[in-house]
Amino acid sequence: MITQDELERYDRQIMIRGIGKAGQEKLKQAKVVIAGGGGLGSPSSIYLAAAGVGTIRIVDHDVVELSNLNRQILHWDKDIGRNKVESAAEKLSQLNRNVRIEPVEATIDENNVSVIVAGFDVIVDAMDNLPTRFLLNRAAIEHNIPFVHGAVFGLEGRVMTIIPGKTACLRCLYRGFTPQAKFPVIGVTPAVIGCIQATEVIKYITGTGKLLTNRMLVYDGLKMKITELSAKRNPDCEDCGKSRGER
Amino acid sequence: MSVKINIPSYLMPYTDDAEAVETDGSTVGQCIDNLIKQFPGLKKMVFDKKGNLLDYVSIYADGDFVYGDGLTRPVKDGDELHLFYVIGGG
Repeated sequence: MITQDELERYDRQIMIRGIGKAGQEKLKQAKVVIAGGGGLGSPSSIYLAAAGVGTIRIVDHDVVELSNLNRQILHWDKDIGRNKVESAAEKLSQLNRNVRIEPVEATIDENNVSVIVAGFDVIVDAMDNLPTRFLLNRAAIEHNIPFVHGAVFGLEGRVMTIIPGKTACLRCLYRGFTPQAKFPVIGVTPAVIGCIQATEVIKYITGTGKLLTNRMLVYDGLKMKITELSAKRNPDCEDCGKSRGER
Repeated sequence: MSVKINIPSYLMPYTDDAEAVETDGSTVGQCIDNLIKQFPGLKKMVFDKKGNLLDYVSIYADGDFVYGDGLTRPVKDGDELHLFYVIGGG
């Protein structure tokens, strides 16, 4: 039940058609897991916490380094050397005392991915590498949990929302891995992409608007151009195709 | 047949900063070959040493992401393609 304090805190967003008090209650009851507490995880978690998502689990295995600070805005100079999830939990809890933050210090792998995402309503893909994104994509499909993909490179970014069993998944579109290497990025790019991911999560939870499903948003900050590419389910997809069974 | 290929910013250093390039061909593969002919430096970013399209590169054509096994897909005059590559940074 929304309290008087929460009614005041969320007053402006409760005014939004499609959210209202009912939507705010849904946000309060929602559980979102954010895989990655870095460039994308920072803005997405900040805005989901500010919006009043009731439970946010944030997963990362890294410690804060000086070279993270140009983009990972949850972490500050004073946090260098701290676990990212500890640093993130501190800031997010201070931002909104009504939100339960669950920091999970872990490297997401085949053995723990199911445990990490099970029981959550939405997964935010805020990883920094493709192999783990593909693991999460598969886990999302297996657990029937919506999955909001986001990725960045330089001044470019991508976002797509996946509703398991219904819409194109990451593996329907992507086949191979880019060579693992340090990638260029400036903070404004994950800021844009992470905020779009958070928007998708809020829309999904409140059941409002039109999700970014079966279409990939391609953001090019250098050209300041947003392109939408339609996406189709691949019947032979190794993650969601018929050979793995409809869920 | 004239087909426009949109170039992502990441690959524009290989196309003399052209955002889009007019190519000639009747299949996706022919258009890509024509693009490479105009900008040979792009080849290493798109094809492997054996001449196969890299598996993290695709060409978005009329609603589909076309990979190395789909380069014979026909195109028509005025079509617009997008050179697309997988990104994973976060």
